[in-house]
Amino acid sequence: MAPFAHLRVVHVNHNTMNELVEELKVKLIHLLNLTDLTPEQFDPQAQLVGGELGIDSIDVLEMVVMVERDYGVVINSQEVGEKVFASLASLAAHIQANRQGAAG
Amino acid sequence: MNQKLVYIASAGIVSPLGSGLAQTEAALRANSSAIGPLEIFPLLQGPPLPVGQVRELDSGPMPPRAHRLARQAAQMALADCPSPPDAIILGCTTGGILTTEQLLREGERNRDAYRWHGLFSLAEDIAALCGCTGPALTVSTACSSGAVAIALALNLLRGGRMRSILAGGVDSLSRLTYFGFHSLQLVDRNGCRPLDAARQGLAVAEGAGMLLLTTERPPRPLAALLGAGLSCDAHHPTAPHPEGQGARAAMMAALEDASLAPEAIDYINLHGTGTPDNDLAEARAIVSLFSPPPPLSSIKGATGHSLAAAGAIEAVISCLAVSRSLVPGTVGCRQPDPAFGFTPQRTCAEQPVATVLSNSFGFGGNNGCLVIGGPESKPPRRPVEQKEFLAIHGSACLSGAGSLAATLAQLHLGLPVAGQMAQDTLANQLPAKLIRRIKRLARLTLLLAGEAQADTVEKEPPAAIFMGTGWGALSETWDFLQRLTDSAEQFPSPIDFVGSVHNSPAGQAAMLFNAASANVTASGGDYSFEQALLAAQTLLPESGQSALLIGADEGHPEFSPLLDPSITAENLADGGGALYVDRQGKQARCLTRLSFYGRGGGDDLPERLIAALGGAAAIRSRTAAVLAGIPTAGRAEGDRQLARFFDLIGTPLPVCRYRDFTGEFASASAVAAVMAAAFIEAGSVPGGLVGSGDITLRPGDRLLVLGTGQCLTAMEFFRP
Repeated sequence: MAPFAHLRVVHVNHNTMNELVEELKVKLIHLLNLTDLTPEQFDPQAQLVGGELGIDSIDVLEMVVMVERDYGVVINSQEVGEKVFASLASLAAHIQANRQGAAG
Repeated sequence: MNQKLVYIASAGIVSPLGSGLAQTEAALRANSSAIGPLEIFPLLQGPPLPVGQVRELDSGPMPPRAHRLARQAAQMALADCPSPPDAIILGCTTGGILTTEQLLREGERNRDAYRWHGLFSLAEDIAALCGCTGPALTVSTACSSGAVAIALALNLLRGGRMRSILAGGVDSLSRLTYFGFHSLQLVDRNGCRPLDAARQGLAVAEGAGMLLLTTERPPRPLAALLGAGLSCDAHHPTAPHPEGQGARAAMMAALEDASLAPEAIDYINLHGTGTPDNDLAEARAIVSLFSPPPPLSSIKGATGHSLAAAGAIEAVISCLAVSRSLVPGTVGCRQPDPAFGFTPQRTCAEQPVATVLSNSFGFGGNNGCLVIGGPESKPPRRPVEQKEFLAIHGSACLSGAGSLAATLAQLHLGLPVAGQMAQDTLANQLPAKLIRRIKRLARLTLLLAGEAQADTVEKEPPAAIFMGTGWGALSETWDFLQRLTDSAEQFPSPIDFVGSVHNSPAGQAAMLFNAASANVTASGGDYSFEQALLAAQTLLPESGQSALLIGADEGHPEFSPLLDPSITAENLADGGGALYVDRQGKQARCLTRLSFYGRGGGDDLPERLIAALGGAAAIRSRTAAVLAGIPTAGRAEGDRQLARFFDLIGTPLPVCRYRDFTGEFASASAVAAVMAAAFIEAGSVPGGLVGSGDITLRPGDRLLVLGTGQCLTAMEFFRP
């Protein structure tokens, strides 16, 4: 893969929430370098921050950047952030709910 | 014998508040803030964030802004100094990167254009301008750099071998720090409001502060440096320990070092960056140590946070507090946070101040505290320590051949070990969770640290970490700047920013071992490991404390050939070495010390080296071989120095030009140090390295690891 290929904004229409969840699994494994985790092992309901994956506040900031870049959704308050990044499923739900508005 | 008082003879300061003591004092008394929208470089989008920038700086494209800040402050501090100081010690985090950022965007490929990039270039520039021929050292411990540089200077002066040192800190604004802190959401869009209940972050700033320190009472001393304390949180790459554990330890160490009780402090100059976490942790540490706390304030709402310069600038402000009887206010703080249990000084007050405690804390949990008093203060009631050598109890190295055993096996055959350990091989030897967010240099460092500890028998994990790196985390720095540019400044990576600081690898090593004592990263180009050794032998106390001494650099295919004049894309090599050291010589495998560090290319450098090693006869009789570091870029000078050295001692000694074996990289001397320690322990030097038969070492024999070129350095290795 070219060095910065993962930075390109991907414009895809997601018909279902499931597709977004699967896409986020792959993105987060790559973004946060979770090398010992496969998408199949990634539990979307599991605690994302402060859980077994060792994800902390710095990773949250990296995810904030990714969500803005790839989905046009801005997360700029810590309070919102805590709810959004509770699990991969809650992140997906937040993106789904805010995407059109933010992009439109 | 008790210690002499270390005087602050004079000071130089360049900050957003102004240039010089008078302007600074006037601005403090007026409670004015110099924070305003960024102007010094153009932004591709969005409104500029509030920053602290220096006005009225000499203009011109070269040297970079940081160098001009340092020159201006150094000139002030040295204005009345009749002779050059014996050493220069600067804290710096980003060197000439503002210029580098511009050059990279222009696609500049000429490496000469990048010669001001390295942190090393600032201390060397000041040393060259003032004619200093002693060590020009660079400390890079993020936002505590300036304070740690001054702490190192204090302890070097106490050792008695030096009489005067120019010490301070400098950083210019840059895209790296401007966007980096923003990506961490640590910048307050409303300006900086330290200790305020509604504070939202810091304002990145720039500046330089310098102190001329001397053990001989000057005619009109400004103040005295009474003590310094260092510690490491060993907790998190960026967040402070929530209870301020490391901050408390550093403050306590500084008070103890100054032989003062907390009650003796009249004013605390807070680190007080204005980030929610820092201010709260610092407040908790203070309340746990001072009951009740003396007047305290943060000046960062007026100046912003000038990173490596901050600790030095605030040391100068502390001098003003004692010499001009003032307690600065906390500009920007309107509603003090009720969670603190104290109320900061809001506006500047006129009152006598005998002693100041000044705090500086940085990424990597790196803490440095200074105690400053008036020139009539009593010297600390502490004996002078005789710090003669460091005792080596374990070691590790990494080269193109692999780890220590593989490297030594190859060297015993007289074969080179130059190259780079493959990324996969490196990653496979470390737990995935440990290295998830760090790239090549920090990985090399963690592997070295783990292997050196594993090689050490019956010793506790190290309490302190001393690290030398010529160029720091190049992968993170390169990736951060590339992504910043590629995304038109929209999406900088917070993880890469955190990893890009020079002390990130040493901070990782501290977390690995819970090493909560001093944590010092030195960055001195080809002499970085030597600088780290000097810091270790100066700062490691006589009392049983142990340390890990590490030297490492990464070879980066794009950056290294641009920055390091000895490296080409074809000869890329990297790695490093690590030694577990303490002061207990008895069971040690080998003893070491840095015996000489001179600079400046003066013709008398070899003469001074010989004097420092005890004279020609002593060198002849006990030196079995010389491991000579001759960087390609300094070959002519290095060859001349080596020939002159042998001329002066009257005989050539067996020489191993170790870079022929290790390859070219800034901290190759760390590998040479590990080699020398291994040969001393084994009792012989492989003949293949010195072009003869194996050399058998007699009990009193020493090995000399010389660094040549721009500087001339000597590390000695000998049996206990």
